[in-house]
Amino acid sequence: MGDIVQIYNDYKDHADFLTVYVREAHPTDEWQMKSNVKDDVCYAQPKTLEQRVAIAKDFTARYKFPLPFGIDDMSNAADNAYAAWPERLYIIDETGHIVYRGGLGPFHYKPAEVRQWLAAKYGAVKQGAQTAAASASRASAPASTSSEGTTPLSVPAKSEK
Amino acid sequence: MKRLLKWFAGILAVLLLAAFGVLCYMAGSPKDAYGMVRYALPHMRRGTLQVGSDAPDVRLVALDGIDRFHIRERLGRRPLVLAFGSFT
Repeated sequence: MGDIVQIYNDYKDHADFLTVYVREAHPTDEWQMKSNVKDDVCYAQPKTLEQRVAIAKDFTARYKFPLPFGIDDMSNAADNAYAAWPERLYIIDETGHIVYRGGLGPFHYKPAEVRQWLAAKYGAVKQGAQTAAASASRASAPASTSSEGTTPLSVPAKSEK
Repeated sequence: MKRLLKWFAGILAVLLLAAFGVLCYMAGSPKDAYGMVRYALPHMRRGTLQVGSDAPDVRLVALDGIDRFHIRERLGRRPLVLAFGSFT
C-alpha cells in the first residue's frame, strides 16, 4: 500500500482517493504470515465492527496513513460487491463507471497500473519534494517483508523510482 | 483391472503431490500452502465487474466507527481511486 500512498501524494490534486478496509487477510487465528510477526502486525480476525474499527485505527495511526478511509462493515458488503479481498484497486470515473479494474491481490495487485492510468490522463508526475517529505514522515514505520507478496494495507512506502 | 486401478491411484498420487508442491512454492511453505487452501482460496474471487460496469454503491463505516457514508458520495468531478486492503 506504500505505492498507493506515493501515487496519492503525486496525484491528489487530480483525482480523489478512498481506501476501503476489508476483512483481515492474515489474522493470527487464520493464515498468519511470518512477516506479520516480524512487523508486529498480529490481530485476530475481527468478530465485531468495533474490533474492525480498532484495527483500522491502529493501522492509520501507525503509518500516519494519509488517504481518506472507509471500513467495510461486518456483512462484507464492499468486499462482496467489488470482489476485493485480500486487496484490489479500481478507478471509477466521474460518471460512476469503472474505468480501471485491477487484478486480485497479492499476485495481480499492481499500483503501477493505477499510476499509468493517471499519468495517461494527467501526465506523468515527477515524484517531488512533497513525496519525499511524505516518505520521511513514514520513516518510523517498520520495514516490510513484502517479498512474501501478501501485504495488503500494511506495506510502508517504497520507492517506485 | 487391479493393475489398472493401481496405475490410476499412482498417477493420482503424483498429480496431488505435484499440486501440493506448486502450492508450497507459491505460498512459501507447507504451512502456508495449507493456509492458502484453507483460508485464502475460498474467499478469493475474480468478480463480475468489468471496465465500463456501473460501480457498485456500498455503505462504509467512517474511521470514527460511528458515521456512515456511501462510496458514491465520494464521486465528484474527478476520478476516484479505490484501494481495498487490510492491515495484515
